[in-house]
Amino acid sequence: MSFIHAQNITKTFNGKNNGASTMAIAEMSLTIREKEFISIIGPSGCGKSTFLLMVAGLEKPTTGDLAIEGKPINGPDHQRAIVFQEFLLFPWKTVKGNIEFGPRLNRIKKQAYESQSRDLIRLVGLEGFENRFPHELSGGMKQRVAIARALANKPKVLLMDEPFGALDALTRESMQIELQKIWQKAQCTVLFVTHSITEAVFLADRVVVMSNRPGYVKKTLAIDLERPRTRKMFTSERFRHYEHQLKESIWEEEETGSWEINPVEEKRSA
Amino acid sequence: MNRTFRKWMSPLLLLVCWEVVTRAGWIDSWFLPAPSLVFQTLYEMVVSGEVPYHTAMSMGRAATGYIAAAVIGIGLGLLIAWSVIIEDFCDPLIELIRPLSSFALVPILFLWFGVGNTSKIIIIFKSCFFPILLNTISGIKGVDKKLIMAARSLGANGQQLWIRVLIPSALPMIITGLRISTAMAMMSLVGVEMLSSDSGLGFLVIDAQRTFDTKRVFAGIIVLSALGFSVDRAARLIQTKLLSWHTETSLGGK
Ligand SMILES: Nc1ncnc2c1ncn2[C@@H]1O[C@H](COP(=O)(O)OP(=O)(O)OP(=O)(O)O)[C@@H](O)[C@H]1O
Ligand SMILES: [Mg+2]
Repeated sequence: MSFIHAQNITKTFNGKNNGASTMAIAEMSLTIREKEFISIIGPSGCGKSTFLLMVAGLEKPTTGDLAIEGKPINGPDHQRAIVFQEFLLFPWKTVKGNIEFGPRLNRIKKQAYESQSRDLIRLVGLEGFENRFPHELSGGMKQRVAIARALANKPKVLLMDEPFGALDALTRESMQIELQKIWQKAQCTVLFVTHSITEAVFLADRVVVMSNRPGYVKKTLAIDLERPRTRKMFTSERFRHYEHQLKESIWEEEETGSWEINPVEEKRSA
Repeated sequence: MNRTFRKWMSPLLLLVCWEVVTRAGWIDSWFLPAPSLVFQTLYEMVVSGEVPYHTAMSMGRAATGYIAAAVIGIGLGLLIAWSVIIEDFCDPLIELIRPLSSFALVPILFLWFGVGNTSKIIIIFKSCFFPILLNTISGIKGVDKKLIMAARSLGANGQQLWIRVLIPSALPMIITGLRISTAMAMMSLVGVEMLSSDSGLGFLVIDAQRTFDTKRVFAGIIVLSALGFSVDRAARLIQTKLLSWHTETSLGGK
């Protein structure tokens, strides 16, 4: 049963003045099941962020259909939350204030969101930091707040754009393990963009490889490893095999890659 | 030696040299009165109620012009940041009037409104208005586009976005504009009171100069300096209090 369905979507950005336009995504089709964890990898500039923004409703496809539960996506919705690499917390709000931002906008009763934010703070392991301001937190803690803030709206879809890209390697690993836990508790669909193949395999039910710009789905790879995933799996035969397959298809893209700096105007199809 | 002490060194040294030079009779007291004499004069002027009266007059004018500039500056700034149409409409006027010295308006204002309070308040308003307006505009326009996206995806719509995201984000810039303008207000206040007035600290100083009463000139300058210093300190204090969440983010990166 398809939950999010993208059918032949393209996205063209019009240049500011002279009109030189960039085609970011071309003829991309992808079907995602409910509660699936999808990792998206692909060369830089291939439209991964753009795709996420379109699912969030913050950008509109130029052509093609993009629907969730059969209804076309037009405009942002608190059921679809997004987490960026840059955290983007509200610096004038405390941890608690940041987490409660969404529920308070959506006129939820105070008792309800307060007990919920307590649960979320526990879930992301930030007890004792409720009343701290973002500038008092480490990068990893800031990203936990951003995740909790996104989950506070009880989203059906969690969109994550290189969420751990700004973190050091050790923090990153522990955040991966935690994200898995959080995802199993929160029971939502995750679209997770990353540049790390290992991270993509470790977290995902399915890894989507995108082509060079203009991006389309070049390959999807189902990851058949049992849950919960553990660090030990990193070195298992099967894990390595998945990584290798993905690496090859990325290398292929890099070799055939068009390195021109000028915006690509012609359309390429899958 | 601690730092507080070191920072008192130069003013104290200046006072001592000044006192010695004048006491020794190297310089005419008429030309440069001894600090002790100046402070004694100042004390008498405070006790007689002269200084409090003129201070109140000055501060009344400065505050009126400043508050009007703050209200209209922030209001118009928000409107301009909100609508390109309003921006295109106002921009040429802003660009034309902003670089103009406030005092260039004096003749025409005196012609229209006479030499009374209205002209003075308008001139103070003019010098406070633009820093506040421009900081408000660039504060709002400078809000991170992705922060806005994050807020929208959390469910913030137009009005909520303004009240809960854009204005709080721009607040550091707006408050900086407000603070800069307190200094502007104090400076143009003195100028305009010296041009024409029968009250206020600027008047006090210029009037003493007309009668060659140098002691009173210096006493007036001391009051102005102390006032300017206190206003600036108060403004800074309010700024750091209001932006305790911000000061460190701007230093410590993201
Ligand atoms: N708002 C925009 N206006 C114009 N062009 C844009 C805009 N957003 C993205 N693009 C262009 O679309 C293409 C895809 O951008 P996108 O950010 O989606 O890539 P990405 O896959 O996320 O890259 P990275 O891995 O580097 O984050 C790029 O060529 C980019 O320059
Ligand atoms: Mg990106």
